[in-house]
Amino acid sequence: MRSGPSDGPDDGLSFTAFKILIAGGFGAGKTTMVGAISEVRPLYTEEALSSAGAGRDRLSGLSRKRTTTVAMDFGRLTMSPSLALYLFGTPGQERFWFMWDELSYGALGAVVLADTRRLGDCFPSVDYFEKRQLPFVVAINCFDGAQEFDPEDVRIALDLDRRVPTLLCDARQRESVKQVLITLVEHVLVTRALEEEAEAQGHP
Amino acid sequence: MPAGSTWVDRDAGPVVRPYALTGGRTQPVAGAILDLIAVVVAAARVDGDELRLSPEHQRILGLCRAPATVADVASAISLPVGVVRVLMADLIPQGAIRVMTERQAAAQPSAGQLTEVLNALRSL
Repeated sequence: MRSGPSDGPDDGLSFTAFKILIAGGFGAGKTTMVGAISEVRPLYTEEALSSAGAGRDRLSGLSRKRTTTVAMDFGRLTMSPSLALYLFGTPGQERFWFMWDELSYGALGAVVLADTRRLGDCFPSVDYFEKRQLPFVVAINCFDGAQEFDPEDVRIALDLDRRVPTLLCDARQRESVKQVLITLVEHVLVTRALEEEAEAQGHP
Repeated sequence: MPAGSTWVDRDAGPVVRPYALTGGRTQPVAGAILDLIAVVVAAARVDGDELRLSPEHQRILGLCRAPATVADVASAISLPVGVVRVLMADLIPQGAIRVMTERQAAAQPSAGQLTEVLNALRSL
């Protein structure tokens, strides 16, 4: 969509930004993953503290503190002068759910990073993206010494739809992270095609 | 240093409350809230001094000389996203910056755009 007077310096310029979310439990490697493929820059939000944070933020004695600063991992991959991909690491704690709505709005898709030592930590992310019908892939982060898991076992453990790609990755390796993102975008393309097909059949 | 006071470092938070920069406003002026990846760009002929812009508005304007997203600007000036949104929204009615792309909730990227992203990723 273009609007406004066309006397800006942007004449003849177009710029498209896409957003991919990197979700997963605390310590699953989200920051590492964003940093492996892009320059991570800090991004802050100043948020009202909900009562859900009570007891977790050690705010006793700070009774007047009403807001808290939330830092997100934010990386930008500039692909051409007119195309950039933005990676946002989602804040992990449950009390930041409200931020997920904003982050997932208009997102291309999501990567759920799974740590096989704490597989349960990624249940909330999987639930969230399933409910929002946002395409996602599950990337199993293989830490040093972590035994290699069969992605199929993880699929069963997470009760994932058979179409959701699951793959092993090393969040520290650029090539590996690149492969995760490629898998995600391919999955988005397939999902889109299936949706269009279903729609065409539903409305002949 | 008066007795009883202690030195504080940046971990203690900003000395000035973030929303002091917006005059206490937490909601942008008229118009929808800018998405994190809404792309904005400065108009060609804008003189920040002429518009009597605050230093923060001027910095934002400077960062939008080339197309930039709300997230880019907020990260570059180290201010919370909410504050930057309010300040950026001030610049729109003045014609100092304009929104190049504001994606609608229903508007999903086309297959062509997705393929472009895919090819770009593969050639990284």
